[in-house]
Amino acid sequence: MSTLHLIRQSAFTSNDFAQCLSVLDHQDSVVLMDDGCYNLKHSLMDSLIKRVGGSVNINIIASHAQARAIEIITAVNTIEISDVVELTFTHNKVITWQ
Amino acid sequence: MTQKEQKSSGASPQESVLAIINSKAPFSSSHGKDALDVALIFASFEQKVSLFFQGDGVYQLMDKQDGSLLGMKDYLKTFSAFEFYDIEDIYVCQQSLVNRQLGEDFHIDNVQVLSSIEFGLALNRHQHVLRF
Amino acid sequence: MKTLAVVITTPPYSHLTITALTYVEAALVAGINVIGVFFYQDGVMHANEDISIASDEYQAIEHWQRLQKQYQLPLHICITAAEKRGIACDAIDNDKINKAFTVSGLGELVELTTKASRLVQF
Repeated sequence: MSTLHLIRQSAFTSNDFAQCLSVLDHQDSVVLMDDGCYNLKHSLMDSLIKRVGGSVNINIIASHAQARAIEIITAVNTIEISDVVELTFTHNKVITWQ
Repeated sequence: MTQKEQKSSGASPQESVLAIINSKAPFSSSHGKDALDVALIFASFEQKVSLFFQGDGVYQLMDKQDGSLLGMKDYLKTFSAFEFYDIEDIYVCQQSLVNRQLGEDFHIDNVQVLSSIEFGLALNRHQHVLRF
Repeated sequence: MKTLAVVITTPPYSHLTITALTYVEAALVAGINVIGVFFYQDGVMHANEDISIASDEYQAIEHWQRLQKQYQLPLHICITAAEKRGIACDAIDNDKINKAFTVSGLGELVELTTKASRLVQF
């Protein structure tokens, strides 16, 4: 059972990202979108990348990051919204953290 | 259709249709009430629904609250009808309680306190998830 | 068959709606059977005929109308949430509600949820 997690809020203002990480499973995927893109620079992000040893698939919406002048790091895949549609069906369910 | 898709469309017998995650405190917004309305509708259509309380959502379960002091209809009182609606799976995140220095004094029975891992596993037993 | 139901809880003047619309349109273009969009909480404001957004801003309501027309996409608004926000009454011919939207109840959400292989909230 895998879950696709859509992260839409900055962890600097809300706990949504932290709550997502507390239930995250190693076969899940994460998509940073909207203000969720800011989480790339949050300390929770480092712990996510380290904790799972790179097994969780982490993605960011390219246009959402570029619009916010956020530099993308190599541990994260850049995708478009159309890829989120595909991810929706390659995972068993979707949880939106907003 | 691939086998994987076939397996994942339509709830299997051990899987509930909907999990609702409550993440907001009860009184300042309508999220808790809106989530409750969804839960009761699913239950009245005889669809299996489970309730999850995480983050500030755990405040919705705490005993000795009284929304009437704020001049509002206290929707938390409706939680006592869960049994009547056959809503039996009510889960609360232990870490969220600990972070808020809360004990396990809930205003309804039958609440299961789960570690983060168990909470995640319980969520996984549902076909769909909505979060309020 | 890949079937998708979408729940919208953000209002038309929120920029979060743009992401939701882009996602729904991408799903339709990809040939996914989007069995319905259910507007709940502030999402019901999308059906408000009286909302006027400056012409140089994102026209969320127009986009929903276009998708509804082009793909026969069912757009349901929750009547209780709509009444609370002053845009629904008992009359079927309600000039406050945009014609692209159908006034439904939460029962419709149950229907969509049980039928769809995926439910996504925005």
